[in-house]
Amino acid sequence: MLQIDCYAYANRLLSVHPGEKAAFSLVTMIICLASPSPVTSLAVILLAALLTIYRAGVPWRPYLGIAAVPALFLAFGAAAVAVSFSGQPDGYLFGLSLGGTCVGVTPRDLGIAARLFLKSLGATTCLLFLALTTPMVEVVSALRKAGVPALFVDLAAIVYRFIFVLAETAERIYISQSSRLGYKNLRSGYISLGQLAANLFIRAYRRSQALFTAMSARCYTGEIRVLETGHRVSVKNVAVIVVLDLSLVALSLVNLP
Amino acid sequence: MAEYILEAVDIEYKYPGGTVALGGLSMSVEKGGKAAVLGPNGAGKTTLFLHFNGILRPSRGRVRFAGRDVRYDQASLMELRKNVGIVFQDPDTQLFSSSVLQEVSFGPMNMGLPRDEVLRRVQGALEATGIIDLKHRPTHFLSDGQKKRVAIADVLAMDPPVIIIDEPTACLDPRCRRHVVDLLDAANREGKTVIMSTHDVDLAYSWADRVFVVMDGALAGEGRPEDVFQDGELLERAGLDRPWLVEIYGEIKKKGWLAAGSPPPRTKEQLYDIIPDGRRASK
Ligand SMILES: Nc1ncnc2c1ncn2[C@@H]1O[C@H](COP(=O)(O)OP(=O)(O)OP(=O)(O)O)[C@@H](O)[C@H]1O
Ligand SMILES: [Mg+2]
Repeated sequence: MLQIDCYAYANRLLSVHPGEKAAFSLVTMIICLASPSPVTSLAVILLAALLTIYRAGVPWRPYLGIAAVPALFLAFGAAAVAVSFSGQPDGYLFGLSLGGTCVGVTPRDLGIAARLFLKSLGATTCLLFLALTTPMVEVVSALRKAGVPALFVDLAAIVYRFIFVLAETAERIYISQSSRLGYKNLRSGYISLGQLAANLFIRAYRRSQALFTAMSARCYTGEIRVLETGHRVSVKNVAVIVVLDLSLVALSLVNLP
Repeated sequence: MAEYILEAVDIEYKYPGGTVALGGLSMSVEKGGKAAVLGPNGAGKTTLFLHFNGILRPSRGRVRFAGRDVRYDQASLMELRKNVGIVFQDPDTQLFSSSVLQEVSFGPMNMGLPRDEVLRRVQGALEATGIIDLKHRPTHFLSDGQKKRVAIADVLAMDPPVIIIDEPTACLDPRCRRHVVDLLDAANREGKTVIMSTHDVDLAYSWADRVFVVMDGALAGEGRPEDVFQDGELLERAGLDRPWLVEIYGEIKKKGWLAAGSPPPRTKEQLYDIIPDGRRASK
C-alpha cells in the first residue's frame, strides 16, 4: 500500500491529466474484458506493464512484486475453474480417480481457465497502471469532476487519509509493545496483537470524533469543499490513447475465434 | 477600560463520560493581546478553547465574543468560527486531506471566498509557515513538525482576527519554534489577538502580555507575566516551574547585585542589561 503510494507521487506520468490516465486504464480494461481472444488479454498485459515500467518509470522488480500478489490470487481462482469432476475418466489431461468419480483437468477447462486468468490479469495491470501513476487525491478529484456523488467521494478521500493515520498508530502501538517484550513468545504475541486491535478500534473511533470537531472549527457544514488543481488535457496523449486502444480493438477483431 | 474580545463567564462543562472538565471558569482576553494559558495536563485548556469557537456549549455560564453573547444557531456559529480560528494540539486529528494544498484550502473554501482569493490565501499561508515546497507532498509523508506547520497554515489561510493555538511548540525543532513564535508575533502586530496554551513557562514568560493559570477546570490566577511568575504560592499549586529568567533575576537580586527597583527582565537581553559590570563593582 505504502509502496504503491510512493510511486504514485514519484513517477514520470505524475503531471499527466488524471482523467487521461483514468480513461486509458478504464477503456483498455473494458476492451480486455469484452474481447474473447486471449491474444488481446496478452497484449493488454504487455501494454499496461510496459507503459508502467518504461513510460512511468516504475522499476520492474518492485512492479513484479506488486503485481505478483493479485496474480497469485487470480491463479488460485483460475485453478479452481480448471478442475472438474466427472463419472468417466476419459478425456482428462491428468486426473485422479476417487472411488466412483474422477477429479481432473480436461483440455477444454484448462483453456477456459487460462483465458480467464489472462483476462483478469489484464484488467489488474490496467488498474495497477492507474494506481501507480496517479495519486489518490487526483483520482478522487477526477471522480468528483465526473459527477460521482459527494458523499461517496468525501468518504473515499477520508478513508484514504485514515488508512495512513491508523497504520501509523498501529505501528507506534506495535513498537511500544515489542519494546516491552510484548512479542517475546507466541502466547504473549497473540495477547499483544489482540490488545493492539482493540486499541486501534477505540482510537479510530476517538479520532473520527476529533476530526469532525476540527473540521467544524473551520466552518465545515457537511460537504468537503477544497481547491482542485487544474491539469491541462494534452491532445497528443489523447491521440496516443485512442490509437493504442483502437489497435487493441482491431487486434481482438482479427483474432476472433 | 480595556476592550475584551473573548470572555468566559462562569462556564461549566461536563463531558458525556461524566468528567467535569470546566467548573465555573471565568476569564477575559483583551482585544489585540497575547495571552498564554498555562496549567497542568487535564486542567481543561483544550476544553476551554473549544468553547471559544462554539464547538462545545457550556452547560452553565456564557461565552462572549466582541462584547456579545455567543449564539448557537448555524449562522452565528459560522460567523464565530470565521472570527476565531483554532490550531489543534494534535495535527493528525486536524489534517483530513492527503494533499497539503487541499488541506489548507478547506477553511477559505468554506468561507465561500472566490477561487482566486482562496489560492492567494493558501499561497500566503504556506509561505508564512515556510512550507511552500511541501505544497504537493501528501500529508502522510510529512514529519510531525511539518504537519504542525500545515495545521498552522490551515488557520492562517482563514485570516481570523483571533487565533487560538493549542501547544504551538510541541514537537518543533528550535528553529521552527522561533519561526512559529515570530509568526504569532507578526499576526499580533497586524492587530490579531493570539491565545496560546503551553507548558513552556519560558516561552509564556517572554512572549505573553497576559498569563492565565487554569487548574481543575477553574482559573487559579491571572496577571502580567512578571507578576504571575513571582507568585511562588500560585506556581507551587499549579505545579509550574519558574522561568529561568525569573530564577536568575531572583538569585542575583538576593545577593545584592541589583540596584533596587530594577524591574524583572522579560528577555535575555534585558537581563544582560541589568547585570552591573563586575570589574567596576569590585573596585
Ligand atoms: N473527549 C473527551 N471525553 C471525555 N473526557 C474528556 C475528553 N476530552 C478531555 N476530557 C477530560 O477533560 C479534562 C480536561 O481535558 P483537556 O483536554 O481540556 O485538558 P488540557 O488542559 O488541554 O490538558 P493537556 O495539557 O494534557 O492538553 C481531562 O480530565 C480529560 O480527561
Ligand atoms: Mg490540551
